[in-house]
Amino acid sequence: MPSIKLDGQDIPFEKGDTIIRAAARQGIEIPHYCWHPGLSVAANCRMCLVEIDPMQNRRQIVLDVLQWDAAKGDYVPGKKPKLEPACQAECIEGMVVKSDTSPHVALARKNVQEFLLLNHPVDCPICDQAGECKLQDYWLSDQKTAKRMRDEVVHKPKAVEFGDTIVYDAERCIVCTRCVRFMEEVAKDPVLDKRERGNLGEIVLAQGRKLEGHYTMMTDHVCPVGALTTKDFRFKARVWFLRKAQTVCPGCATGCNAWLDYDPRTGEVPRLRPRDNEAVNKYWMCDDGILTHRRVNEDRVLHGYLGRGTKRERVNPGQALTAAAKLIKGGNVAIVLSAQHSTEDNFALAQLGRALGVSELYLSRLKDWDGDDILRDNDHNPNVRGAQQAAGDLKLRPLSELSGAKVVLALGGIADVDDETVLALAEAKIVTIASNHGPLTLNADVLLPAASWAETHGTFVNRQALEQEFHAGARPSGESLPGWDIVSRLARTLGQAIGFTRYADVRAAMGPRNTTPNAAPPPADAAPPAPAE
Amino acid sequence: MSPVLVSILGSAIKIAIAVGFSLNLGGLLTWLERRQMAMMQDRIGPHRADIKLGGKKFTFAGLLHPAADAVKFFFKEDFVPPNADKLLHSLAPMLALFPPLVLMGVVPMFDTVCPESLRNNLWHEIPRFGTCAMASTAKQLGPISGQVVDINVGILYVFALAGMGIVGATIAGWSSDNKFSLLGGLRAASQLVSYEVAMGISIVGAMMVYGSLRLDEMARWQGENTWGIWVQPLGFILFLTAAIAETKRTPFDLPEGESEIVAGYLVEYSGFKFAMFYTGEYIEIVISSALVTALYLGGYNIPFLHRDGITLSLGDDILWHKGLPHLVVILLQLGTFLGKVTVLCWAQIFIRWTLPRFRYDQLMKLGWRMLLPACLVNVFLTGIALLAFDRSSPATHDTFQVIGDALNWVVLAGMVFFPLWLVWGMFTPSSFISRRNELRGRRSAAAAAAVATEEASAH
Amino acid sequence: MPQPLVGKIQYDRVKGTPVARPRRTALEQAYVVEVVKGLGVTMRHFFKNTKSMFRGERPDAVKDPLSEGITTLAYPEQKKVYPPRFRGVHRLTLRNDGSPRCVACLCCSTACPAQCIYIEAGEYPDGDNRRGYERYPVKFVIDELRCIFCGYCVEACPCDAIRMDTGRHAVPYDSREQFIYGKAMLMSLESADGKQLAENPRHEPPDPTHPGIDRLKGAH
Repeated sequence: MPSIKLDGQDIPFEKGDTIIRAAARQGIEIPHYCWHPGLSVAANCRMCLVEIDPMQNRRQIVLDVLQWDAAKGDYVPGKKPKLEPACQAECIEGMVVKSDTSPHVALARKNVQEFLLLNHPVDCPICDQAGECKLQDYWLSDQKTAKRMRDEVVHKPKAVEFGDTIVYDAERCIVCTRCVRFMEEVAKDPVLDKRERGNLGEIVLAQGRKLEGHYTMMTDHVCPVGALTTKDFRFKARVWFLRKAQTVCPGCATGCNAWLDYDPRTGEVPRLRPRDNEAVNKYWMCDDGILTHRRVNEDRVLHGYLGRGTKRERVNPGQALTAAAKLIKGGNVAIVLSAQHSTEDNFALAQLGRALGVSELYLSRLKDWDGDDILRDNDHNPNVRGAQQAAGDLKLRPLSELSGAKVVLALGGIADVDDETVLALAEAKIVTIASNHGPLTLNADVLLPAASWAETHGTFVNRQALEQEFHAGARPSGESLPGWDIVSRLARTLGQAIGFTRYADVRAAMGPRNTTPNAAPPPADAAPPAPAE
Repeated sequence: MSPVLVSILGSAIKIAIAVGFSLNLGGLLTWLERRQMAMMQDRIGPHRADIKLGGKKFTFAGLLHPAADAVKFFFKEDFVPPNADKLLHSLAPMLALFPPLVLMGVVPMFDTVCPESLRNNLWHEIPRFGTCAMASTAKQLGPISGQVVDINVGILYVFALAGMGIVGATIAGWSSDNKFSLLGGLRAASQLVSYEVAMGISIVGAMMVYGSLRLDEMARWQGENTWGIWVQPLGFILFLTAAIAETKRTPFDLPEGESEIVAGYLVEYSGFKFAMFYTGEYIEIVISSALVTALYLGGYNIPFLHRDGITLSLGDDILWHKGLPHLVVILLQLGTFLGKVTVLCWAQIFIRWTLPRFRYDQLMKLGWRMLLPACLVNVFLTGIALLAFDRSSPATHDTFQVIGDALNWVVLAGMVFFPLWLVWGMFTPSSFISRRNELRGRRSAAAAAAVATEEASAH
Repeated sequence: MPQPLVGKIQYDRVKGTPVARPRRTALEQAYVVEVVKGLGVTMRHFFKNTKSMFRGERPDAVKDPLSEGITTLAYPEQKKVYPPRFRGVHRLTLRNDGSPRCVACLCCSTACPAQCIYIEAGEYPDGDNRRGYERYPVKFVIDELRCIFCGYCVEACPCDAIRMDTGRHAVPYDSREQFIYGKAMLMSLESADGKQLAENPRHEPPDPTHPGIDRLKGAH
């Protein structure tokens, strides 16, 4: 493999790689604002300038400069090499690049940094980006000087609404055009553009348009400074209070990788951020996916309940379990798996079904939604394949085919069911293990509180049959417990121990995960037909 | 008046004085202790409890605090721990309070009164030597001694009853069903037993000198010769130490030891039972002061005040004589005795708030390995001195007589000079080192020094 | 892979200079003389203080609290003079229009070691005169019971919006709820010399002297 030398270190590269990309592959960050691995190169921020040593057949450009000589007390003529942007310079075998080791680069970075901060309002205390802002990071690593300009800074529009989701602050903007390029190249909707030059430059919307579509919130995540902020997260939290956990978006079958940012003090989850994964979502997520963090705190089932409608009363989880066990002992149980819950939850429930002697299982799921070619899959459920895996040799039928059962034991509250099915279900006694309220919790006779996906460990199987693990962030809120735990407790209450007391027990029973993406479409007979529109 | 009525009346008055004095002084000591320690520690002490008289608030220098405390103790819940021994728990405070009270009965408060001589003339004077004529007929009034009960084993009675104090503290500790209480009770038992021994032997020297076990005779000996503190200095210190240890107060307060065992045997007591312990402790101070006074500080005697009046003398030379009526002498003696006891209580409080508490092993070491041998040495030395004195010439006796009188002169001078010194001190304005002025002075001195160095360097 | 430490540490013998044992003379060992000396010290204090009480010549406890003698304060009637930088109960300083200067940046609650500050940030609605302040505290709650009065919040504040110059010490109340000071309560408090504004006024967006938040109003 060909390689270059960066600060004395060998960096292998593939043909066509730029210096910054080759370095980024090795985990070395060359300071940059406008470059993004998923976007085209703009080379307008000038932060990634590096010094490239003269090579064969390549003339070195040397500039005449005046340098301050402290001993003389005057400027003296001097020379300095012309620096090149690392984001645009392609790697050539044997190239010798100096980044952190070159005093010219250090001076250049310092000056670029000062230049970018010249008209910056420095309102970090009220800026949501503070704490994860590149201006702050590079000030600390490369500048560390106070502002020298004494004039009033240039004032530009603040808090401009770019649509229903995004707010723009032109004063903080460094016009790196990452957002412009994202909308054009990834979202395929070139609604943003730049106008004016120099210190008057700012990002504007196309005439008569709003920032809309399924990928608006990504502009906030590509923005290296606090110029673009989402209304959803605006002023909600300071990022240094948040901890992150590795998670998977539960929005659709794509299974985009994400960071779950949670507040360990309150257990709230104020946002989801895309997590890089070349195989699944690259660097992106859609708006609906980012907003799934709302499921952690909205419409939650936090306690055990007994009874339907106005007769519903709160009981402690033990009482709810006893009541559920009493109903299930009545016989003729129909078990409903959920495409919204993790494979582990479904597996535990399927095991209970086997123990109870059930021959077929049912699956509750959301209807298909508007998918696209970028990320969104038509299947609105994160884990249809996981439920199928969990069912194993048992037959898995759609929920609409359920009839004649005396007792229904359902996992998950969120599902799309038509009115006929609701009526049919309502005749039976329903036990629901759910984290969020939905049609299946509406008529539940016994409601058991399950932890949300953000509060437990688990696995989603995406459309590529990739089994992706997600980790718990906050602790389970209210009196909720992980779904598999509730199921195994229920089994113990029924006298049908299925042998799970820890998460590791469930995983051990399920076997190793498949971590090789399978791009082939799922087998036609495996997916149950989606409920007709 | 019939002799029986007079003797009954006399006893009643003596009991009233003894009990009334110890109880009231005990109560007053609670106030005195708090104010005095405050003064020693640069504080004010309790002074805020007030009473409204005619629309004006009076605090009486904090004297209402003991009264308020008493009211509080009355109305506090009388708590008995659930598993405590109810009978013993209630009995313990009584055992702590009553022995010290009845101890006062054998302490002489004044010289023997001869009521027969006062029958016709209240201002009658009686001779210095010789006791009253005994009641020869049924109609004559017999002498009234200065003690409530005139028993010939007086000092043994004292030890017998002082030993009861152990019982009170110990069963209080045992019956409370509390580990701290039990520890306190055990500590109290071992401490009191240990110091009882030293206390008993420390006094043997004095008994040898005075030649009697009767406290009234001891007091009379001191009046005729000189105070016991001069003939038994070591015995005085040993007895005082042991007596303070017997009162269980700092530096010997290990049975309570707040910082170690919370409050020892008092932990589970509240309300009036606690008040009884508390009062008992203060009465013990009064009693121990009374005993020290009677044994070593001349009892009711003022130097040169005898039964017939004041006789200033040095050896056999009588310098000045003034006769005083018998009744006046008796009242002076009573006042002297009470005054001495009060001053000694005050001194004991000083000791309490000056010395830190001993460690337990130090306490035991002090009791058995210091005090006890010292007491035995004292007995031994006293015996040798007495033998030598008995065999010496009459001239030596006279010399000692002169020395005794000289010491009496010293005591008298002290008794006159000290109050005068206090009164004189009251008229000089007080001066305190002001931290503020000190700092200011230091600052200006530093400034002056700086100017001086500047000038020096300029030259 | 970190190596286990057990068995690897070489424990040196503890080195140090031996402490000199106190030498006591026989007189000191006898204890009695030392007791008398100690009594002398306490007696000197007793007589001096008692005399000053009788003569009414106690040093001024308020003006000269470090003086010799009795310097006890009779608390409710006499009060200690707090130093000018005394840290009292917090107050929120106001802008000229009476709204809080606080921009709800949470710097104070980040700095707070007792975690006693709770803030919820919000935005003034569109069209509001104060829109230019961008961010303001919808809720600003301090649990004065939890506060340790370290003053870090004041140090952390970039806007001079929180101050502890009220000169009030923490007040005793009879229930926990009363110690929880809300935004209105904190804004109503004044500094020791009766000010509600901050010491360093500055240009505010609606102010005529403010260069403006609009590019078109700017002076460039």
